[in-house]
Amino acid sequence: MNGFTTRAVHGPKLRKDPLGALRPPLYESVAFEFDSAEDIEDAFTGKKPGHTYSRITNPTVEELEQRIRLLTYANGVIAVSSGMAAIADTVMSLAEPGSNIVTSEHLFSHTLSLFTSTLGPWGLHTRFADMTNPFSVKEKIDENTRLIFLETITNPQLEVADVAAIVEVAKEFNIPVVVDGTMTTPYLFSSKQAGAAVEIISSTKFLSGGATTVGGLIIDNGTFDWSNAPTLIDFTKKFGSNAFLARLRKEVYRNLGSCLSPHNAWLQILGIETLALRVSKCCQNALTLAQFLASREEVVHVNYPGLSSSPSHITASRQLSHGFGGILTFDLGSKEAAYRCINNLRLIRRATNLNDNKTLIIHPASTIFHEFSPERRERMGITEGLIRLSVGIEESDDLLHDISQGLETP
Amino acid sequence: MSTMPVYSTLEGNLMQITVNGEPAQIQQSPFPVEAALRHFKVEQPDMVSVQVNGSFIERPAFSTTLLSEGDELDFLYFMGGGSR
Repeated sequence: MNGFTTRAVHGPKLRKDPLGALRPPLYESVAFEFDSAEDIEDAFTGKKPGHTYSRITNPTVEELEQRIRLLTYANGVIAVSSGMAAIADTVMSLAEPGSNIVTSEHLFSHTLSLFTSTLGPWGLHTRFADMTNPFSVKEKIDENTRLIFLETITNPQLEVADVAAIVEVAKEFNIPVVVDGTMTTPYLFSSKQAGAAVEIISSTKFLSGGATTVGGLIIDNGTFDWSNAPTLIDFTKKFGSNAFLARLRKEVYRNLGSCLSPHNAWLQILGIETLALRVSKCCQNALTLAQFLASREEVVHVNYPGLSSSPSHITASRQLSHGFGGILTFDLGSKEAAYRCINNLRLIRRATNLNDNKTLIIHPASTIFHEFSPERRERMGITEGLIRLSVGIEESDDLLHDISQGLETP
Repeated sequence: MSTMPVYSTLEGNLMQITVNGEPAQIQQSPFPVEAALRHFKVEQPDMVSVQVNGSFIERPAFSTTLLSEGDELDFLYFMGGGSR
């Protein structure tokens, strides 16, 4: 069972359904019964497998975790309530007050806010480096650095860093690389092959199969020796290579209540079965739209890793398979022009999200990055004329028609 | 945990160990950890951490780590749950 979609559709076959159902059941149950006091003790103390309470584990959520594990060949996966929960749980498991992380300013705004505004007062120091320059990353690392964090395709700069090169830098200091692979998914990019220790995915996006549900994934690739992580020393003694997963499940994830609802897990299992098909179509459409926009006089600049004009095109071509993602940006020179185009559209939806089945459009400066000063937005490449498109699976002719009339209507 | 079945019917060809704190008997060495997972019918073996005498055993070493008389073998489900 080697094919990506074959694995996604059939899953690991954790257990035979007692009624022969082909689709895994939805276990919407908070608690689970045991046959004896000894049995429930064994489940609590980890001597036997058993679901005790759905904030900690749940059979339907387990099914999702094991499907992702099969798709990524990971050591283990924990499904959580959102991508942000995945990032927060991971950082709080690997860092401690007084320590630092090295990351880029080219991040989703809420991730930046988590690191600086939420975890800053907790005691986390955030150091910024240019992820496209490994030397810049190396200069920021010291004995208190606990991890390097980067997005596989940044939002909305669409910058693609060489993950393997960053991993080589990290190896010199025995620190893990954590990648946010939301924009690429395991279909376009294997973080394990690149050597990343952990991959975070917002399963809200591509994986949910049509923006049905919010969720997140923490994927331990099994590529990092956790005995090098100062926060995992005790867990390494007991659980070895499973130390990171164990600390999450038995402490950080458990205590922060980051659980994914079984209902969300069930829908996301359905979503991942068509992941490859949808991602492929989104990538084809995004390239078609990017090439069209690049030919238009009204458009000052188009950015898409699939275009040879993109500064990240060479790295993306080497690092990604099957396509360059479903997000592109274009600049119309001014906020007024951007708003006029957005308001003229009749098919493409004005909404914030990434990788829905529908194509979505947003003006980043006035929405997802409105909390930042104009100067900081300019530094992050978020201009007043910038528009972000999350390209869906519609027929490309329909999308081209809508964009054309959006640009042409006065 | 209930008493584990004796692995071999040959008299005197057994050794005593403990499994999750409970006494158990297994065939004399060589008896690798990998065989112990099958012998004790450990559910979901890929979700289990294994310790021998308090030391964690990495998965690739399951087939080469041999148990000895008096060893303390512990199986711990690090994911905190699993199917029943």
